[in-house]
Amino acid sequence: MQRVRYAELHALSNFTFLRGASHPEELVETAAALGYEALAITDECSMSGVVRAHMAAKALELKLIIGSELRLQSGRKLVALAQNRNGYAALCRLITRARRAAEKGSYVLTRSFFEEGLPDCIVLWVPDDALALDVEDHWIRETFRDRLWIAVELLADGRQDERLDALREVGRRLRLPLVASGDVHMHRRSRRVLQDTLTAIREGVTVDQAGFVLYANGERHLRSLEVLQHFYPEELLRETLHIAERIDFSLDELRYEYPDEIVPADETPASHLRKLTGQGMRDRWPGGVPQKVVQLVEHELKLIAELRYEPYFLTVYDIVSFARSKGILCQGRGSAANSAVCFCLGITEVDPARMETLVERFISKERNEPPDIDVDFEHERREEVIQYIYAKYGRDRAALAATVITYRPRSALRDVGKALGLSDIQVGRLARSMQWWDGKRVDDSRVLEAGLDPDSPVIRRLLYLVRELIGFPRHLSQHVGGFIITNGPMSELVPIENASMEERTVIQWEKNDLEDLGLLKVDVLGLGMLTAIRRSFDLIRTFDGREYTLASVPAEDPVVYDMICEGDTMGVFQIESRAQMAMLPRLKPRCYYDLVIEVAIIRPGPIQGDMVHPYLRRRNGEEAVDYPSEEVKGVLQRTLGVPIFQEQVMALAVVAAGFTPGEADRLRRAMAAWKRRGGLGSFEDKLIDGMRRRGYSEEFARQIFRQIEGFGEYGFPESHSASFALLVYVSCWLKCHTPAAFTCALLNSQPMGFYSASQLVQDLRRHGVEVRGVDINRSGWDCSLEPDESGAAVLRLGLRMVKGLPEAAGHAIAERRGTRAYRSTQQLLERTGLDRRALEALASAGALSALEGHRHQARWAVAGVEKPGGLFASMDRFEATPLLRKPTEGQNIVADYKNVGLTLERHPMYLVRHRLDRYRYVQAERLRDMATGQDVNVAGLVITKQRPGTASGVTFVTLEDETGHINLVVWKHVAERDRAALLNARLLGVRGELQIETNVIHVIARKLIDHTPMLGDLEVKSRDFR
Amino acid sequence: MARARRSPVIARDSAPTPDAPPRHTQYALPLAKAERLWFCVYLPNLPLEACGPGDEDLAVIEERQGVHRVLLAAARARAAGVLPGQSPNAALALLPGLRIEERNEIREQQVLELLATWLEQFSSFVSIAGSDVLLLEIAGSLRLFGGLKSLRRQVAAGLEAQGFEASLAIAPTPLAATWLARGGQRACVREPANIMAALRSLPLSCLAWPPTVLESLAGMGITDVGDCLRLPREGFARRFGVKRLLQLDRALGHVPDPRNSWRAPERFCADFEMTEEQGDRELLLAICHELLQAHEQFLLARQLGTQRLLFTFFHLKAKATSLPLGGARADRAADHWYELLRLRFEKLVLPEPVIAIRLRGGTNRALHNTSGHLAFHDRPLREHYYSMSQLAERLAARIGNESVHGVNAVADHRPQYAWRARDLFAARAADALTRVRQGIERPLWLLPEPELLSTENGHPLHQGKLRFVSGPERLETGWWDEHGIARDYYTAVSPRGAGLWVFRNRDRQRDGEADWYLHGMFG
Repeated sequence: MQRVRYAELHALSNFTFLRGASHPEELVETAAALGYEALAITDECSMSGVVRAHMAAKALELKLIIGSELRLQSGRKLVALAQNRNGYAALCRLITRARRAAEKGSYVLTRSFFEEGLPDCIVLWVPDDALALDVEDHWIRETFRDRLWIAVELLADGRQDERLDALREVGRRLRLPLVASGDVHMHRRSRRVLQDTLTAIREGVTVDQAGFVLYANGERHLRSLEVLQHFYPEELLRETLHIAERIDFSLDELRYEYPDEIVPADETPASHLRKLTGQGMRDRWPGGVPQKVVQLVEHELKLIAELRYEPYFLTVYDIVSFARSKGILCQGRGSAANSAVCFCLGITEVDPARMETLVERFISKERNEPPDIDVDFEHERREEVIQYIYAKYGRDRAALAATVITYRPRSALRDVGKALGLSDIQVGRLARSMQWWDGKRVDDSRVLEAGLDPDSPVIRRLLYLVRELIGFPRHLSQHVGGFIITNGPMSELVPIENASMEERTVIQWEKNDLEDLGLLKVDVLGLGMLTAIRRSFDLIRTFDGREYTLASVPAEDPVVYDMICEGDTMGVFQIESRAQMAMLPRLKPRCYYDLVIEVAIIRPGPIQGDMVHPYLRRRNGEEAVDYPSEEVKGVLQRTLGVPIFQEQVMALAVVAAGFTPGEADRLRRAMAAWKRRGGLGSFEDKLIDGMRRRGYSEEFARQIFRQIEGFGEYGFPESHSASFALLVYVSCWLKCHTPAAFTCALLNSQPMGFYSASQLVQDLRRHGVEVRGVDINRSGWDCSLEPDESGAAVLRLGLRMVKGLPEAAGHAIAERRGTRAYRSTQQLLERTGLDRRALEALASAGALSALEGHRHQARWAVAGVEKPGGLFASMDRFEATPLLRKPTEGQNIVADYKNVGLTLERHPMYLVRHRLDRYRYVQAERLRDMATGQDVNVAGLVITKQRPGTASGVTFVTLEDETGHINLVVWKHVAERDRAALLNARLLGVRGELQIETNVIHVIARKLIDHTPMLGDLEVKSRDFR
Repeated sequence: MARARRSPVIARDSAPTPDAPPRHTQYALPLAKAERLWFCVYLPNLPLEACGPGDEDLAVIEERQGVHRVLLAAARARAAGVLPGQSPNAALALLPGLRIEERNEIREQQVLELLATWLEQFSSFVSIAGSDVLLLEIAGSLRLFGGLKSLRRQVAAGLEAQGFEASLAIAPTPLAATWLARGGQRACVREPANIMAALRSLPLSCLAWPPTVLESLAGMGITDVGDCLRLPREGFARRFGVKRLLQLDRALGHVPDPRNSWRAPERFCADFEMTEEQGDRELLLAICHELLQAHEQFLLARQLGTQRLLFTFFHLKAKATSLPLGGARADRAADHWYELLRLRFEKLVLPEPVIAIRLRGGTNRALHNTSGHLAFHDRPLREHYYSMSQLAERLAARIGNESVHGVNAVADHRPQYAWRARDLFAARAADALTRVRQGIERPLWLLPEPELLSTENGHPLHQGKLRFVSGPERLETGWWDEHGIARDYYTAVSPRGAGLWVFRNRDRQRDGEADWYLHGMFG
């Protein structure tokens, strides 16, 4: 039999949420494998999946057709296929209108939406069962005329012959051609089980209740050519090719649609960028630009010009200039951000001379994709920047990228469980055990623990389906800061739909899609530390007039590095976590580049890939630094032969395994996704073969590959690390030289970082800085600095620390006070109009002590005040004043924690210490003087609990006592035996063993004891991290 | 005639089992004493106990603002660290075998009512005060039960035997007794003059005031009743409301605190006792009819009906014989019930002659209003329904409830599930998602089991070689249970002209050749 040829023109991917049951890539790969001539991805009123399909089709050289299935309100189903860029724009416009007219996640289409008639699109009409022609059918005929086909979809429902005859009759009557198509919902028949499940989830029923809503069979998959030939008359199959031939459009045509207003009328992008860079260069080096820099800039400009990326740099420059003009601190990062050009443009403050420059690593000619610049802004002022972008380019040309929310193990389990008829509680139990789900299998013992039988067919089905469903897109949400700016209207590039928040919209593509298509994208991100740093600068300026900027903070100050080496870094950027603090005394960073490494090395990726310890040993001279070859040395020298950065892995693939830079970049992307989709396999062989052929040992090759796997989603690029390291250094400098201002700024920028206000304040006091309480007559809304008798800075807690006090009330108190102090609570009420809840919050926080004495009296007074203008307001009420007991120290501490979140009294451990004495608990500060390996008992408030995914089953607990912190290591068997204490205790006693290594102290727990009842009402909240 | 004393009695629903021998109702004497003494039974673990007895690995959860939290945990769960306020997941982490029940306040109320009924043996005045507190006025009953200590012991023992953990306290005012019981102090205050002293050191949390009020008071350093009583009255009332001041006054006995007595709901229960054993079945039926008439009178007065009845025939030696009757709808007519009874009674085996008959009514229900408001066009339908339900009742009475089923059309692609049985007497189940499948031809007669056909060169045979008329209709579905199918169905005609429905299995093939089956025949 002669082999037929076929193009599938009607296929839904899983971006038609809860209908399509295959990833776009799966559809493309299967279509290519089956020998289809072309494949159309026609998700229902959506373009969300097309870029993924496009990338996959490009790699397999399959012709991809871009289209969309559209259901009119009357029920008529059409499939529109874009013939060219113009048709694509029309289709995107239509989808945008239909989506914008309906609630999030749905759309409305009526005849009135088609005034334009959808030009340059081919339309397939998929008639329903009822074939009586009416007005609307004639309308369809008239509207699309010579671009209209009747789609014949024969799906083995037992009536295919009948149907074919009926459609032929319609075609004759309307003089329309017929074409075969498959109503494809999945790439393989076996997905029908998942497809049924998705249907049940969509309808909110269980599969066995879903009845005829389910499809009767699995025919809606990509069928082999033989099967198609069996089902369809040959002329209908041939017709698919005629249609495919009339389509000439690829998403690749969308590139280079940059905005043009960033360039003045009399300049070209190239000349303008050159001019701005030149200006910046002279500002950076007022004493004369070093020749090396001039050359570097020249080289970079040439590369940028070749790739026509000037508009991109100019756009970022424009945004950063706006931020600077408003005094908003910002810092660029990413591959291109560390270029000399970006330094000259002020996009980054990292002087390329300060580190081995990353030239040429930032854009690759071969990759032919735009450079990557993320800009971090102060988190509280990012919105201003976003508004600026909207104002400058208009909402029809600037938009935030989407984030595709996908099924995670937990959500997949919940939905599948429901569809299979499991009870909420059963699903809840299993979901809990999902914490150990590694994405591939579930430990049977966990299923048993959840009270379910792992061998029961229902559970087997459940686990199978959950595995299949994980990673499926579920809905679109807004990306945190990925902006796309276009030259023409956005809705002609990509459809726009409503987001869940009112007045918010989201485009149908996510960041990766934009990147893949090479579209201009700027990440406008919020970073709390930038806010804190800017606030520190402001506080210093107002306190003693010193002026600092990111660039002018004195560089490479040895005193700052001394502090860092001691692990005294609570509150600073990035290197403040417990793991980081424990690393610092071993790593002993002494220069900027050491910080770059430090930022990247304590991350799950390098830890999993076992890179930390080799690096440490080499740095401490305990292990020889050797390289298998000169090329490898060139890549790894700066990290002592250990690959730490993502860029190094890519470079290794190039120099040691013979990858092209483009292949190396695909490797990088595969690295990010392999946990979700697998797919490192082809790279594994290529990498190891390549390295072996170039004479590297199998062992070295395997090790490199393991490290690549370890990077996974966490691999940290050097280009980001370099930018972060600057903020690390600046925050450390501030903490070291202006601790009061730095802590004050941190408190005013909460919530951020790793530590609570209480811990930050205790740390500050341990560094000898005085902290004063909230005072109705002295505090502003923010925490502030005031001089003590000697003129040194003292931290005054602000009204923002008072829990339950609204911000407006706090500002009102400070404003109405001016220079006239409040004399009484009644007066406070009359001048500010605060409500009783606000007053109670103040009284509870002890902020009224200047007016009413102790807390108990303040509460009584506040409970009795009358609103001004009330019935009795003018009456000078005489009321007996009760004699109320003065709060004890314990009561004050409890109230402080509850209402301010911290106490300036003694540490709560003082109050219970005598009762703990019989357990022979040792205070934190005394551990330092003890010997490693010694048995030791410690106790303290539980401050943080952390169970990192990388440390198999270990829980890290931090305790706090009156003298400092104690780091606990709780192994799995202890955690399981004493899990009640571990889970519930706020005051925890521990018997264990002391371990001291290079100034890093741990207690390995052997027994946990819950002493919480001793605390009474004290509220200590542990911060739990996973 | 050997029939004698008859004593139909309308009783409260207090007889614990229908098997208990008949006893005469007692009338409690009204009390005429001014002094009152209140006995409080506080049940701190009621939400747990209402879930049934003896599960040590139990936690009751409650939803507040959309979040589930543990409300109470049983002893072993508590020992494992399961605490109130935890999320169910945290609780499960501590005790993986934990049984988690959602709080059921209706059930708690029912348990509370049962306990109130039980407590009526100790006092004619029992009051349900809130969701977990029962109050007995006992001034009059003290002597009857041998004094305070003895009464207390009896109540405590009875509660313990029924599996309840209770805190008991006695005081001259209901509120004082309640607060003391919540304080768990086993207090016994007899003189009003001593109330103040007993309450003074009681934590304010025992007063069950709203958390905001308690928090506010705690913020002023006021944590017990004594602190509260020391505050200036006017200042207190202004800050916390006159209502709370009044409560304090009531607790102290300064202001009266009237309470309502609780009464069990009425349910019909009547006995007919005979002077000697009786075996004549016609006579027994006649007595039953009399009881049914009394039942009808009882319900008529209350405008109610019932859906279930229970006859119990007592014998001298053998265990009593029960005969439950159920109707498809609530009814009270004696003749209606009598007809059902007669059908069942015919088959009833009585081990011995009968000495007494008891009739207990089921839960009373409002009758369908059938009096004249019915729209005219509704009538035929309704009558049809009635006659259908009467037919069903009679059938069920004759051959047993379990043998009569309704038939539901079920939406399922699998032909063998085209219909399913349902319990006729169950409330109408919510219909499965049914969407009409149009135009699909299905044979009227389906074989109970598909029949394997012999084949010739892979072609199915039935009375000769089959000719396919249409198909295939491919059905691949039902994977969610053990009866999933993957078949291609064809309509075929046999050489003798019979229309057949045959299929080929897609997943099971023998020797590389598909099996063919006959599944049905077209009429």
